[in-house]
Amino acid sequence: MKTHSAVGCLNTLLICTVAISAMFSLVGSPAWAAPKGSPWGASYFPNIELIDQNGQSVHFYDDLIKDKVVAINFIFTHCGDSCPAETASLRQVQKLLGERMGKDIFFYSISIDPDHDTPQVLKEYAQKFKVGPGWRFLTGSKADVLLLRNKLGLLRDGIEANKLAEHSTSFLIGSENKGQWMKRSPFDEPKVLAWMLGRNLSNFKSYQNAELASYEGADKLPKLSAGEELFRSRCDSCHSLGREDGLGPGLQGITQLRDKAWLARWLKTPDKLLADKDPIAVELYKRYNKILMPNLKLSDADVEALIVYMEASSKGLEQAALSK
Amino acid sequence: MNKLIISDTKIAKNLSGDVFVNKPELNLTVATAILLGYLATSGTSHAAFNIPTENGLNPEPVPSPLCIPFSLPNGQTNNECATEFTAKLLMFEEFGLKDISSVSSGSSSLTSTFPEPVDCHSSPDGQALDNFLKEDLHSLPTRRSDQTDSGTPVITPHPWDAKVRDCVGLLPNTPTTADGRPTGEWFAHQRWEEFPTKAYFQSAMSGARVNGGLRDKNQLHDYKKGEFGPGGLYYLDANNDGTPGSEGALIRMHQNLPVQEPNSVWTFDGTLPPKLLMARYGEPILFRHYDALPIDVAANNGFGKNTISTHEHNGHNPAESDGFMHAYFYPGQYYDYHWPMVLAGHDSINIGATNPKTGAPDGNGGITTVRGDWRETMSTHWFHDHMMDYTAQNVYKGNAAMMNYYSAIDRGREPVNLTEASTGQKSVGDSVKPGYACHYANPNNANLCLPSGSGLDWGNRDYDVNLVVADKAWDSNGQLKFNIFNTDGYLGDRITVNWIYKPYLDVRARRYRFRILNGSVSRNFKIAIVKEVISRGKLSYTKVPYYMIANDGNIMQHAIPFPNSQSPDALPEQAIAERYDIIVDFKGMTPGTKLYLVNLVEHVDGRGPNKVVPLADALGTSKKPYAGDGINGDPGVGKFMELRVQSYSGTDLSMNPADYQETVTVAGKKIPGKQMIPLNKPTTAELNNAVHRSFVFGRSDGTDAHPWTIKTDGGAGLAADEHRISAAPEIGKTEIWHFTGGLGWSHPVHVHFEEGQILYRGGKAPPIWEKYARKDVYRIGTLADSTSNVDIVIRFREFAGTYVEHCHNTQHEDRAMLLRWDIQHPGQTLGIPTPMPDWNGVQYDPSVYLPTYKTGDVAAKSSFILPR
Repeated sequence: MKTHSAVGCLNTLLICTVAISAMFSLVGSPAWAAPKGSPWGASYFPNIELIDQNGQSVHFYDDLIKDKVVAINFIFTHCGDSCPAETASLRQVQKLLGERMGKDIFFYSISIDPDHDTPQVLKEYAQKFKVGPGWRFLTGSKADVLLLRNKLGLLRDGIEANKLAEHSTSFLIGSENKGQWMKRSPFDEPKVLAWMLGRNLSNFKSYQNAELASYEGADKLPKLSAGEELFRSRCDSCHSLGREDGLGPGLQGITQLRDKAWLARWLKTPDKLLADKDPIAVELYKRYNKILMPNLKLSDADVEALIVYMEASSKGLEQAALSK
Repeated sequence: MNKLIISDTKIAKNLSGDVFVNKPELNLTVATAILLGYLATSGTSHAAFNIPTENGLNPEPVPSPLCIPFSLPNGQTNNECATEFTAKLLMFEEFGLKDISSVSSGSSSLTSTFPEPVDCHSSPDGQALDNFLKEDLHSLPTRRSDQTDSGTPVITPHPWDAKVRDCVGLLPNTPTTADGRPTGEWFAHQRWEEFPTKAYFQSAMSGARVNGGLRDKNQLHDYKKGEFGPGGLYYLDANNDGTPGSEGALIRMHQNLPVQEPNSVWTFDGTLPPKLLMARYGEPILFRHYDALPIDVAANNGFGKNTISTHEHNGHNPAESDGFMHAYFYPGQYYDYHWPMVLAGHDSINIGATNPKTGAPDGNGGITTVRGDWRETMSTHWFHDHMMDYTAQNVYKGNAAMMNYYSAIDRGREPVNLTEASTGQKSVGDSVKPGYACHYANPNNANLCLPSGSGLDWGNRDYDVNLVVADKAWDSNGQLKFNIFNTDGYLGDRITVNWIYKPYLDVRARRYRFRILNGSVSRNFKIAIVKEVISRGKLSYTKVPYYMIANDGNIMQHAIPFPNSQSPDALPEQAIAERYDIIVDFKGMTPGTKLYLVNLVEHVDGRGPNKVVPLADALGTSKKPYAGDGINGDPGVGKFMELRVQSYSGTDLSMNPADYQETVTVAGKKIPGKQMIPLNKPTTAELNNAVHRSFVFGRSDGTDAHPWTIKTDGGAGLAADEHRISAAPEIGKTEIWHFTGGLGWSHPVHVHFEEGQILYRGGKAPPIWEKYARKDVYRIGTLADSTSNVDIVIRFREFAGTYVEHCHNTQHEDRAMLLRWDIQHPGQTLGIPTPMPDWNGVQYDPSVYLPTYKTGDVAAKSSFILPR
């Protein structure tokens, strides 16, 4: 959850999630066939064979997308920067969707590097990211996956076909029997993605009615620092500002724990520190399931803003604790 | 002036060695045979041109067929092929405004309710829809969507309540609503009582159907006046029943192409011709827009979304009526758009409404003056869908109409004689009609007397023609198609004008105004106008002179002659949503003369234009004739509309644009020309005090490998999020915005609300057609007329609320390249929350802000050098 009113929204969404699940079990999914007149059905999607992280063989159209609401992305497990960020972001969406994951909403991460990403490798990857139910990691023949990427419009051009690192990080969300397919980016707000999948593509949702005010009588506008904005859009899918760990360590007190110059280098070029076998970097890598801290291509000013923000946030939390 | 391009090439060779005579009569069978022959010999080659756009590697693009047998009503089969320049252009059909005072309170006399579709997959019955729309408004419009104006809560259930529950699966206790506008103050009509609605119209976005003649009686010309009257060039009797009108008009791109199925095309009313709103300043309009699309989102024949939001591009309208992408409404619902029809500067300039140039036609030769700045007078607009994620699909599918603004300056009326031109008095004894007197005869007269006609007090369209140019593609059954998976941009292989595949238009041998809108999804044009010359059996073309008078629908200070040294062959590149109003004079041309509109911009794929094709190549008269076969060239390049000159018996007293050039030569001396609408340049103080903002469109931070984001004020590259407010200018202030893009992509950047002026294009003074222009689309791109950066100055006046800025390559827009900005009141501390519309009404989510939303880009400000 990435907004200031995070808790309220989260609750609302979870409540609504439960309500929707209940509704679906009561009424049942309206069972229409693949949309009439729409070209995006069995004749369009390749029914290729894929194998999931548990070694189960499935067919893309019949087993994975037919009559389902899905999010599909393409990854490779030794991808340094974008894939971990993507996976971490989707993981937040998955959390928001709660019980509906695996019931009527499904995520598929399909490897574009089948030579390397065996079901076993994918299983380890999934465990590393602590993904929940309804999310499968899949691999298949190189040609089949290439065909699929092309059909789904997640292959920009021929060059990309042979370059793992240049792969499109966009992912597709869609509803097969509604003929609706949209591209999204891993840096979209998880809340928005959850809403798209859980409600928009599912043709239903229920939100609490917020009390409205006039232009004149109103709350103060939240003022974000540059660091906070960066943190919200780039960091908080893996890190909390408190002490609790996510995919990466909780960051309360981080600016005191680490030397500032080291912290700046780590934020800017984590890949280089790891390659140089920096002892702290190596230790963190091992402690956090060997999930790479992505190089987010931050500028010096970005890094500075992030450090200032994390420092201020830590102080705030400490003071709040003291005043209790 | 008229340079002969090529005079000796009548034979062109295609690559497979076939020879054909390059004559307009070239029939399609021959062309097809050649094409097929070529395909046969090049089976393994990969098409370089991804048009109509498929995904990256395969399948190969398939040309939209022109020969599709289909059944006729009499049971016979039509086996004829569609060929170029054999279908007549459809002229726009007016919505027709009605007086709001006719709406009785509560409208209790009205019996019909919004007709319900028979099932989840259809639009309501056409006749029932017409019967409903023919009646007055079925409920009084209100300031807030959830209250009467006296404060009584109103919730009207959805007219298709039971059907919606059935189709969608709503829980029984979930309420539904008829009004799709967000509730509460946030989307209440601003200044509602100050700009009381005077006129209204209603329409329903509906699946394609036969035109039932709903608006036949609402045309200003009434099919009686001028060229729209009997015997006129544009008289229409679509079903040949002896009664004029569009009743019986079908939705098809050519008489030899099949009719579109209801879910292939969705238009206003569900009908063709395309619709036109004719509006006057000072006459606030209420547009009640019904959504009559299928309840089931899947019933779309492959593309398009049944929830919609309508953006009047680029009206000076309050945010709640601007068509915010997340203020969309559902099938069966309506949304009341309130367009106040005020000039920018209403609050600060000419507040006594004393300037006679600041006004509107009064219907009787006079001018009803209004407040505001006459230099902000606008002319040629369009309105179209702005649904989050689906703008491209919905606009392509038909959710677009044009809108002409009429004013004292741009009245759409020519004088009947020279006396009237100078004094407004037709002849001795007649009353003086100041609104008819022409500026060219006396600079104190307001009316520019642009080519139009004189049968009506205002809004003559005899010689003032709206043209929407758009590329389309269709499947083997002739049904409109779209590729929703290629978000690089979508290109069709068939150019249409006003929905007709390569049409022809009869024109009189006199001056015409054409209002050209690029209504494509991802295709830019560069339009040349040439005259066909056949001399001793040899075919050639000559360029004809013409003038651009309005850029993005706003009349400029000076008329810009074309061709000119900065643009020697054609109009400037014209990106999606850009409008160019031009004046062409056919005077002196022999009846039977043919002219052509020719597109010179080549696309390879939807990312942006690739190059400008030399005019002679595009015409096929050079040694390297352009092969727009989809394999060797873009099928969108070349001639796309034919103009056929007919005799003119009247006297053309419309203004001569040549007199309005920047400099004119009089008695051998160069002097400044007359001015149409002087540019309201920002003052030095405005420029000095401006907040600066920078927006970088394109590929962004390394890990954001997806190509479309916008970086605001030096921040991170971000995708669209309806919750995020990236900038919040203060009402009444002036700002300087910097747009940057490039890297091989093109982005027509569209900023909603007020028009901007270009300070620098690529760091230099803008070309002459932008020097005096007020723009709402700022092209950044790679071709000659575009640059990778543009700096503009823009004001924010009269209204507050939530607006957006985006790339108008609508596939880019839908993908991510859009940001929200809000106009806020000074000292405003409350951000507008984000509407989340649903079947059961609209609730709000909290909004978030970028840290720079108030300050903008401070670094850009300090390094910016103001133009002198």
